[in-house]
Amino acid sequence: MLNVLLIGAGTMGSTHGEAFTKMDNAVLGGIVDKNLEKAKELAGKLQTRAFQSFEEAIEALEKVDVVSICLPTPFHKPFLKKAADQGMHIICEKPLARNLKDAREMIDYCQEKNVKLFVGHVVRFFPEYVRAKNIIEEGTIGNVAVVRTSRGGGFPYGSDDWYADYESSGGLVLDMIIHDFDFLRWCFGEVDRVYAKSIKEGNKKRLDYSLVTLRFKNGVIAHVEGTWAHQGFTTRYEFAGETGIIEHDSSKSVPIVFESRSNSTVGGGVAVPESPLKDSPYFIELHHFISCIETGKEPIVSAEDAYKAMEIALSALKSVETGREVVMDENQKEEAQIR
Amino acid sequence: MKVGIISFAHLHAHGYADALSKINGVQLVGIADEDESRGADAAAKYHTKYFSRYEELLQQDMDAVIITSENSKHHEHVVAAARAGKHILCEKPLATRAEDAKEMIEVCEQNRVILQTAFPVRFNSAIIRAKKMIENGELGQIFAIKGTNRGTNPGGWFVDPAKSGGGAVIDHTVHVVDIMRWFMGTEAREVYAEIDHAISSDSIDDCGILTIEFENDVFSTLDCSWSRNETYPTWGDVTLEIIGSNGTLKVDAFAQKVDVYAKDGVNWNYWGDNMDFGLVNDFLNSVSTGKEPSISGTDGLKALEVALAAYESAEKRQPVILK
Repeated sequence: MLNVLLIGAGTMGSTHGEAFTKMDNAVLGGIVDKNLEKAKELAGKLQTRAFQSFEEAIEALEKVDVVSICLPTPFHKPFLKKAADQGMHIICEKPLARNLKDAREMIDYCQEKNVKLFVGHVVRFFPEYVRAKNIIEEGTIGNVAVVRTSRGGGFPYGSDDWYADYESSGGLVLDMIIHDFDFLRWCFGEVDRVYAKSIKEGNKKRLDYSLVTLRFKNGVIAHVEGTWAHQGFTTRYEFAGETGIIEHDSSKSVPIVFESRSNSTVGGGVAVPESPLKDSPYFIELHHFISCIETGKEPIVSAEDAYKAMEIALSALKSVETGREVVMDENQKEEAQIR
Repeated sequence: MKVGIISFAHLHAHGYADALSKINGVQLVGIADEDESRGADAAAKYHTKYFSRYEELLQQDMDAVIITSENSKHHEHVVAAARAGKHILCEKPLATRAEDAKEMIEVCEQNRVILQTAFPVRFNSAIIRAKKMIENGELGQIFAIKGTNRGTNPGGWFVDPAKSGGGAVIDHTVHVVDIMRWFMGTEAREVYAEIDHAISSDSIDDCGILTIEFENDVFSTLDCSWSRNETYPTWGDVTLEIIGSNGTLKVDAFAQKVDVYAKDGVNWNYWGDNMDFGLVNDFLNSVSTGKEPSISGTDGLKALEVALAAYESAEKRQPVILK
């Protein structure tokens, strides 16, 4: 039985918190948020304790084995270090960091302190994505030629509106479609080159949209769409191979839709689609990470994978900035020189 | 109105011949085709005369000619038709080389005949509706467009570069680029492309993702791949998703369909308006009234230049700036 301390009581924090409370091999010992009211609210719901700081929490709690960091990206590194200093294992939301230097430092730090580091690339735990990978591996559609993925919805509001601060968040390319970069790399191996376009100053417009073309070393061409310009969150993919096609659209795989006649309730007047599962992909992911800590087995997604996904996202951002194709190996060489 | 057709090499010839038969006062004077059985069959089907030599067809008394030969032959056929004083509707891509397209435009101007590029998608009702919404400013400022024009590898001469000038990229770039230009009234400035042949065994490009930046700073991508396999419920698609400051607009030109489940699997049976009819009708209207064609030879050239730049970009592995 592992004791978990959750840091951050926002959207991801409550998702993680709910998952931990359902686990038979973990206990949610407490929730930290600089906004104590928010921490208390979530702690009340999940029947655990609320703290305003990490330090208060570890002083009050008898035992913390794992810390789950659900904070805006710039806070990942300082909290990771604090937790690693205490010998706690770390689950960190994606992206691991805002830049590769921090990401490498974080990975190295965890190794030094001999604690495990897991990064929340949860798409590897979404059944529809896992299914696509399996179908491809079974050879059902032959060699894959062209892939299209899509992810997004409206422009997100985070605490202190941090998503709109691209220096902190990296915008949708680093914060959101890194999921697709990681998933595609899981399926097809390393990326050779990247070309990308984004709306200029999308953060100031509160409307952003990016189209990224990836060319994998194995030849696969992938088109990755990320949007903070739509209404309502959807994900889609299409894999076109030599002998077949796999398609999925989250807006179509909805087994239950409620159309309220009342305007007074939440979602009144609009259809509210749901896709319920016994275990949410977040639960499966976090349960897997907890099991890896217990048993010492390798996780489905490693910290190094998280670093590689960042490399793709940051190459895309570099391409947006320069208007040029970015070759990953050359990028890595530069990175090596910086280090 | 008297019209001829040069070559049934391109299957769209059937769509256009069918449209001609539905328009009052139009007479199909004859069909020329160097492939005798193909030409004779078509002539029988559309109750007209077969000519083995297009030169002979062009000597007939007629106003206009529709050219649906192999891409690389458009140049020869258009130049001859213009010199014979016939107005021309030419299948896309207008040519396989930009210099050919330019010469075709010039010769048509000199001979005062209409050269219209066959971009039937402009006559799709959903596309027309989208154009109106953009003109009315309903989208606000446009920032980006995501387009697809995927299809099935047509095989035959389409996969012979000497006749087609290229595969999926030259075949399927031009339609949607034309629509993007038409929607925004602007030209492409820069093109980047990833191109490969990875689906069929033919050694011709069958997949491509283009990124096109326009002079108004709008960026777009276009998937022109021949990536629909034989069991897919339809031949392909034309879609555009337009990101504007006031909203996003999704256009799926062939979404008006009935899903048919039968012994041969699932089939999407399209019931929307026939755009070939709109295209041919518009062309004949320009011929009879003498007004400027709604789609010009230059429109055909501009779209072709994007496809050619895509090939160049894939070769050079960097974006190509259009002159």
